Amino acid sequence: MRVILKTRPRAKPKIPIEAEEIIPQNFLRKNDIRVYEGNKERALDDLFFVTYEGPAVSPDQVEIVLTGDTGVIKRVGEYMNAGRIIIEGDIGMHCGNFMSAGEILIRGNADAWLGREMRGGHILCEGNSGHYCAAGYRGEKRGMRGGIVEVRGNSGDFTAEYLSGGEVIIHGDCGDLPGVEMRGGTLVIGGDCSRPCGNMTGGTCMIFGEAHKFLPTFRKNGTDDIVYAGKHYLMNLFRGDVANRGKGTLMVRQ
Amino acid sequence: MKIEDVVCSFCGCLCDDLVVEVEGTRVISVENGCTLASEKFLGDHRLKTPIRRDGNSWTKISYDEAIAETAEILLDADRPLLYGWSGTFGEAQSVGVHLAEILGAVIDNTSTVCHGPSILAIQEVGHPGCTLGQVKNRADVVVYWGANPVDAHPRHMSRYTTYCDGFFRKDAFKDRKVIVVDVRDTESSILADEFVKVNPGGDYAVLSALRAIVRGKRGIIPPEVEGVSREQLFRVADICMSAKFGAVFFGVGLTMAPGKNKNIRNAIEFTEELSRHTKFTISPMRGHWNVYGSNEVFTWISGYPYAVDFARGIAFYNPGETTSVDILKRGECDACLVVASDPGAHFPKECAEHLARIPTVQIDPHVNVTTHLSRIQIPVAVAGIDAEGTAYRMDGVPIRTRKLFQGQYPDDFEVLEKIYAIVKEAKG
Ligand code: SF4
Repeated sequence: MRVILKTRPRAKPKIPIEAEEIIPQNFLRKNDIRVYEGNKERALDDLFFVTYEGPAVSPDQVEIVLTGDTGVIKRVGEYMNAGRIIIEGDIGMHCGNFMSAGEILIRGNADAWLGREMRGGHILCEGNSGHYCAAGYRGEKRGMRGGIVEVRGNSGDFTAEYLSGGEVIIHGDCGDLPGVEMRGGTLVIGGDCSRPCGNMTGGTCMIFGEAHKFLPTFRKNGTDDIVYAGKHYLMNLFRGDVANRGKGTLMVRQ
Repeated sequence: MKIEDVVCSFCGCLCDDLVVEVEGTRVISVENGCTLASEKFLGDHRLKTPIRRDGNSWTKISYDEAIAETAEILLDADRPLLYGWSGTFGEAQSVGVHLAEILGAVIDNTSTVCHGPSILAIQEVGHPGCTLGQVKNRADVVVYWGANPVDAHPRHMSRYTTYCDGFFRKDAFKDRKVIVVDVRDTESSILADEFVKVNPGGDYAVLSALRAIVRGKRGIIPPEVEGVSREQLFRVADICMSAKFGAVFFGVGLTMAPGKNKNIRNAIEFTEELSRHTKFTISPMRGHWNVYGSNEVFTWISGYPYAVDFARGIAFYNPGETTSVDILKRGECDACLVVASDPGAHFPKECAEHLARIPTVQIDPHVNVTTHLSRIQIPVAVAGIDAEGTAYRMDGVPIRTRKLFQGQYPDDFEVLEKIYAIVKEAKG
């Protein structure tokens, strides 16, 4: 089944919409999907033109397509466990919160907290992602725990904060402190970043661009010739963060 | 009439030893206070009556009209923002949280532009703090990091640290070592025994290096870290480790530097590392008078200290998303109530522009920058001068402030209670 959700014009287009019920499994079971516009509860039809195409017997067979002014819609794909969501433009904060399986494709940019505390599945963002991509909620000791988040563009500050499992791949640059408090999983940064992996205690971070303002508390641990995505790279290896008896691995391309 | 033991209502020190002379409804002199206190008590630029913007001019309106129109603006909004609260007392803050809940509004206080990052760090790793009394009586090492108490909290040093003798510190000036860490020379750095000048944005790296040194990993430290020599880092770590009781105070120079809450977390973890060797504590230098109280009151009622979003009927908190600067920058809110604060003077330009676009109501005794962005302003009594209530000192100690005279203005509590009553009736 294909569900097409096209945003309706709104009198106050900047007021955020919270739409955690937009997940494939709900379109099989529920016929009363509710969304919030600011402090007002709305029916799905109030804010979207909804079109259904074809049948489905399991959530795996549900594909949701979001189009229109989608950059202010938050929490799409929260707790998603099957199926597919395609966002034709930008998407608001918290897309794919806690998702455990399925696939989200964002053709535009994603706002902050993309894939927050994700457990499994795959998110691909073809544009840029905001701050705290694949991170945890405030005060939470573990961020993303499984799955893959891939961003073709750049990512903001605190990318993969508290990363505990899974893989985060940023093809472009990252902002400040990517992998801060990281404790597991793999973070790959194709471009530049600053102050990577402050206070990390575990996991692996690979940086293929420049690591600016490199922290003084990483111990040089030789070099290694690694193969990534079918190519050989000579990497400087570091262990840290020594400020926190860290046992993480940080690799920066020579 | 001279009134003793008056509590100052300007900064987070809440000095409670002022002597204020009052004549009728005017303060005519202030003793013991710093220049900031004198300015606060003697300043006389109060708005006389509520006003409403009519085109390019202002019209005087009655309190009842102003209150009814404010309630109507808030009821009409789909995403109202209630901001400020640090300059008023706990009782009024409490009405504010209940008002936000019933409206489905976002309520935020000035922590958003000062020590919000400190709160985030504390939520991650805890807060090994203490009262200012403990510091006064025990501390032999005091570290001011990203703080300039001489200018921002003028009596902090004379009441609690450098110039104040304590029970175990009989000759404080000689007994206490003061370390100042900042990106520039300040009035406070001149008074330091050790001034550590860090490159702008370099605090996080310096704190990480100090943590590694205290953990016995001196060998890893390069000759210079963000403008600070290895020798000085070793010296600072040694002073701290040999202290009997150390106290770190940090200001917005650290909370608002790149890395924000991670700087504070690093400072807290440095303090915890030091506490394996000796006793060390850490405290924020809260600036706005009762901003600590707003965190307390918000937390009692909603579970969260600032940036609380009631849009869904339950409290949600996520600084960066529900903080007022972010909401205004994104142009999200469609009405704003400002209480006891001046966001027009402190917020980025695009936030101020959005405040001017939407119906903004200000409850404040004085004409300030936010007045020029507002549709309505309701003048009230000044907390600690002609209004009484409870406020929290920067170390979390609640102190009751007194009314020095009976003035002509209602206080924040009375005005907010009336707005709340109208909203409650409308909501049923
Ligand atoms: S230090 Fe602060 S509280 Fe004390 S008198 Fe000065 S302004 Fe008032």
